Amino acid sequence: MSIFCSLTRPASIKLAVLFNQPAFLLIFCLFLFSSNVFAQQDNAAENADTEVTASSDDEANPSAQDEIEESNEPNTLSAKQWLARLTEATRELNYQVSFILSRAGSETIPYLWRHGVLENGTTVEQLNLQNGPGRELIRVDNVVSVFEPDVAPYSLYSESINGPIPSQLLYNPLALTKSYKFIKVGRARVSGRPAQQIRIVSLDNSRFSYQLWLDEASGMLLKFNMLDLNGNLLEQIQVTSLNIHKEPHAYFARVNQATLPQPMVITPSQPRKHNWEVDYMPRGMKEVKRDIRRLALTGQIVEYKMFSDGLVDVSVYVQMADDAIGADMVLRHEVNTFLTLTDGQAQVTVVGEIPLNTANAIATSLSMNQPDNNG
Amino acid sequence: MTEQQEKLSAFMDGELNQTEIIDAIKHDPALQAKWQRYHVIRSGLRKEATVAPQLDLTARVAAALADEPTVMAPRSRWECIPLVGNVVPFAKQAGQFAVAASVAAAVIVGVQYSNQPTQTEPFSTFATVGPQGGLAPVSLEQTRTIPRDDMAVMLEKKRKINALIADHEQQVKLKQAEEQSAAAEEQQGIDN
Repeated sequence: MSIFCSLTRPASIKLAVLFNQPAFLLIFCLFLFSSNVFAQQDNAAENADTEVTASSDDEANPSAQDEIEESNEPNTLSAKQWLARLTEATRELNYQVSFILSRAGSETIPYLWRHGVLENGTTVEQLNLQNGPGRELIRVDNVVSVFEPDVAPYSLYSESINGPIPSQLLYNPLALTKSYKFIKVGRARVSGRPAQQIRIVSLDNSRFSYQLWLDEASGMLLKFNMLDLNGNLLEQIQVTSLNIHKEPHAYFARVNQATLPQPMVITPSQPRKHNWEVDYMPRGMKEVKRDIRRLALTGQIVEYKMFSDGLVDVSVYVQMADDAIGADMVLRHEVNTFLTLTDGQAQVTVVGEIPLNTANAIATSLSMNQPDNNG
Repeated sequence: MTEQQEKLSAFMDGELNQTEIIDAIKHDPALQAKWQRYHVIRSGLRKEATVAPQLDLTARVAAALADEPTVMAPRSRWECIPLVGNVVPFAKQAGQFAVAASVAAAVIVGVQYSNQPTQTEPFSTFATVGPQGGLAPVSLEQTRTIPRDDMAVMLEKKRKINALIADHEQQVKLKQAEEQSAAAEEQQGIDN
């Protein structure tokens, strides 16, 4: 008995030890396997979530259905679909973007741009000029508050902040198709990210052209060039950092919406009758404003018309020649072309971001409605 | 000793060129005193007696101080009265400031004086009317004559051009705000 015991006891211990290790391994393997399974289940659940949100988007916005389906493969998107993606990303994501604006012959200007969608659906946006005393614009839904040095803060009704990036391009690019065509160029690397390049060229080649690079992953703007008709760079916006977050930036929690200035209502001046018309207009441009005013700086009386294609605004001034500059003149101010011509008693001035030939064509196309009694 | 004296006088006369006499003078105060006296005597004889017969005052003053009794309590002085003691040093400082300020004032007056335009013509000169036509160029070095009428016209042109460009930029800014205002008003009208 004692011998039996002495034999069996170690054996049982050995067995237990032998069993123990594989059992432990087995349990460990089981644990690993099960955690993998759980993780896959989690992924599946997440996928299901995203599919649900995507499908709900589809229901809410059936026209965007094909774009969302194709957005899984960015290479198959057309240029217009890319711009639709840009609008969607700009409107809906929470992001913080740093970019610089540079123009030939002048210093670069750095900006900080933040956007967020709050829990209650309010969209908030901030644009801050980073150098010097600064300039801060804060948008809460459709009210933009402007904080500038030397000017009391004020607010205006606006759906977007009027910054260096043309808001029409960001928010309503398809409206530009009357004047411009969008061409997909190819892939490139911008700001350290794979990007898609798109060109915007005016249909009648009468305006400056643009190049933009969009982030393949998010659809956000990474780079924006304005080129003259010879392909020389006039203005460039380059994103230096792009951060997309799930939550709106903490900055917006600090904005006290109650203390922002009350928005001013600007009533558009009533259109005034002019006895002259502009006969030539670049394709897609139309008159958006006409009145008779005094210039703020000199007090001269001018008759004024503004034309716009959404991306570019052109001003046409007509004034009495004896009160005017007195000589035909062409200037370039930043990216604006300034052309003034005198014809008899009237002086015609065209200002806008357009090539000189176009400005000249506009200025020389003026015609009188009636025999004038006004000059 | 007499040998030493002879050597000393010989050394004084420049007849002896030995370093040992120098060492001897260095180490012997009696010889030093002699050296001094001989020199005084010699200059006296030569009627160059600018050196008065030496009276060692320092030794006597030191001796007198050693004999003087030590005063334990300091004498009461006006610095020790609390208020006056504080005021007087301040007055002293103020005096220093006053001196500094007067120096500065003198400097300023001097600068003003030196910057005054020099009057090259007599005061009675008839004031002639300069060329009419607005702004004259502000420049100290006018090496060539610029026709002033053109300058004024150029400035006026620039002003008019700037007025137009500024107006254009303002209108571009206003355009969007006006459109949105109109939209907002319409929206409010619908809501009401």
